[in-house]
Amino acid sequence: MRYWPLLFAAAAVFAVGSFVYSPFDPDWWLPAGPEGGLTSVSSIGRRIDSLYILILVITGVVFIGTQIALVWATWRFADAPGRVAQYFHGSQRLEVIWTIVPAAILVFIALYQMGTWADIKFRSSAPKIQPLAEITGRQFQWVMRYPGPDGVLNTGDDLQLVNDLHFVKGKQSLIYLKASDVIHSFFLPALRIKQDAVPGLTIPVWFDADTQGKYELVCAELCGWGHYKMRGNVTVHGSQSDFDEWMGRALNEQNRDTVAAVGPQGR
Amino acid sequence: MTSRFRLVVVVGSLTLAGCGDSFHAGPIGYTENAQLGIDLKDKPKLQAAVTRAMANLYGPTPQQIKVPAGSGLPDGGVHLTNLIQQGEGDRTEVRPIALPRVDEASGQYMASKSTGKLLGEPQEGGYALYRKHCLHCHGVDGAGNGPTASFLFPRPRDYRKGLFKFTSTPTGAKPTREDLRKTLKYGLHGTSMPAFEALMSNRQTEQVIDYLLFLSMRGETELGLIAEAGVADEETADEAISDTVAVEIAQSVFAKWKAADSQVVTPETPRPPSTPESIARGRELFLGLNKTGNKVECAGCHGAQGRGNGPSFIDEATFTQVVFRGDPSGMPTRVEALTDKQKELWKASVDEWGDPLRPANLTRGVYKGGRRPLDLYWRLAKGINGAKMPAHLGLIKPDQIWDLVNFVLALPYDPTLLKGATLPGTPAAVPAAAPAHAASPTTSPAPAEDPRVAVRR
Repeated sequence: MRYWPLLFAAAAVFAVGSFVYSPFDPDWWLPAGPEGGLTSVSSIGRRIDSLYILILVITGVVFIGTQIALVWATWRFADAPGRVAQYFHGSQRLEVIWTIVPAAILVFIALYQMGTWADIKFRSSAPKIQPLAEITGRQFQWVMRYPGPDGVLNTGDDLQLVNDLHFVKGKQSLIYLKASDVIHSFFLPALRIKQDAVPGLTIPVWFDADTQGKYELVCAELCGWGHYKMRGNVTVHGSQSDFDEWMGRALNEQNRDTVAAVGPQGR
Repeated sequence: MTSRFRLVVVVGSLTLAGCGDSFHAGPIGYTENAQLGIDLKDKPKLQAAVTRAMANLYGPTPQQIKVPAGSGLPDGGVHLTNLIQQGEGDRTEVRPIALPRVDEASGQYMASKSTGKLLGEPQEGGYALYRKHCLHCHGVDGAGNGPTASFLFPRPRDYRKGLFKFTSTPTGAKPTREDLRKTLKYGLHGTSMPAFEALMSNRQTEQVIDYLLFLSMRGETELGLIAEAGVADEETADEAISDTVAVEIAQSVFAKWKAADSQVVTPETPRPPSTPESIARGRELFLGLNKTGNKVECAGCHGAQGRGNGPSFIDEATFTQVVFRGDPSGMPTRVEALTDKQKELWKASVDEWGDPLRPANLTRGVYKGGRRPLDLYWRLAKGINGAKMPAHLGLIKPDQIWDLVNFVLALPYDPTLLKGATLPGTPAAVPAAAPAHAASPTTSPAPAEDPRVAVRR
């Protein structure tokens, strides 16, 4: 009985099978928006996902090919009574081929992703729009400043919140990311946005979402013992008027000077 | 047993050693307040009586919580735990607590789509949530002495005095539930208290508040019992600290908590608009320049430039040296090394809990107790419990407090407001050349303009 080839084959089938299964289970697939689905809800997210799927397909094809070769070779040339081993001193042609082919694939991936990377990370690609907010990571919360009615950041009428990000669906939003103590990482899983916040730097981050609803913001950098506490609520509003109404309510709460039985932060 | 197999067994048990609770030193238990050993030194009977009374009132361990009648906790304190023991004697049974499931968005009870029955969910209970989110800073007893507490500045709150800094009630009164809810949900900006709004549902938040109230009431009752035992006779310990006495002390604590909601301080006059005139009046009050009525002077502590470096407190360089330059446990030693004059100032620079504190740097626009004008009004009108910020209502009128609020809110965005300002009675600021030894921590404070003495946080 030839056990080893069977074991290798079973492992390969299991690995391939789990990838084939994953799109059918939301817990296995990439984070989706509030309505589920296989694709990301942001334009940047869809570009990231297409790169991801491309790499998955390339590596998947290579994986299946090498596993077939492995199983076939171990099966075909298994030890048998009376068989004599053959000695083989390598082949220069084979070595060159299996060095050049992966190298070419890697170069292709490197060149192919450049445009996407530049569009989502380079400062020069940042949309020329009014910033939505300035977000500062500190141990252990996201401090958010939205420009107030005057539209200018860092003035007396700013709306200052904690762990509460709001923006409008279907249009680009730009934030300035800062950190006040250690490195944090601003991570919006459903939008495929992840950007380290580095003390001393102000980093522009831009994103959009085409589905309204509640999302999650987390910190993706192990920033200390309270790292898990840096969870934030993200609300994508259906329209600018909806956003403005929320903003008005939150500002009214921030300017509260009478006692009333309403919770802070305008909710 | 081959040697290879033996190796596998050893490695296997090593990798499994991290699983489960096997590395815990045992179940979590309460520790007595250190005051018990100090005030009742050489009085073992009284100590034992206090410990017994506490166990009878509040349960011997956090796993066996008892809630005295009349505590005022919602539903008799049932939200503190996830298991409840009911019945007497042989008919005792322990059951898990379930709650009807609530839709967070609408607040409605949720029913099963197929059967129409209400859905239930097991209750986590305040103790479990506290253990998960709070215990590592605030400690098992709420003494502010959890494992991560020493790494924090300011230190986490010790609930056992029943004293909370940021409240809407008069000086010394208990906070309302809304005050605690606000702190828990939105954190205390400028401290290490995080915001839990995105981490816990409303229901969980209420459960945690219940447990923190339980710890606070428990701690204050313990202090009351220790005070009672302090004047009692060792030989009649059991009569002096009887169950009746213990219940009375607990009830007096509960009464103070129940009174909080009716004590909320309401501003007597509406806030005037933040005009340049109002801000200028606030500035005069801040610097102690107003010539009418009672004189207040904020600059004595907060500094003539509002940077939290006034002469009534120890200078920042020395403060930094004592608090941040070395192991926290070595702080008393570093205090001892100060000059006599500095030691006097140091004594005035600690709060009720004995922790070092600084006046707020008002130029940063970071307000621990909230940034709403109402929050600042409360801070100014009734001070900060346990800290050095005094209550001003009565000294000055509500209108003047509002002027100060307008000034404080304007200050971070208008550096000219206090430019060149000096404290009353001091000559106008002369740009002093920093002496060569200014960097040494035990010399006189460097001029306020010197960026080298800024406390880094």
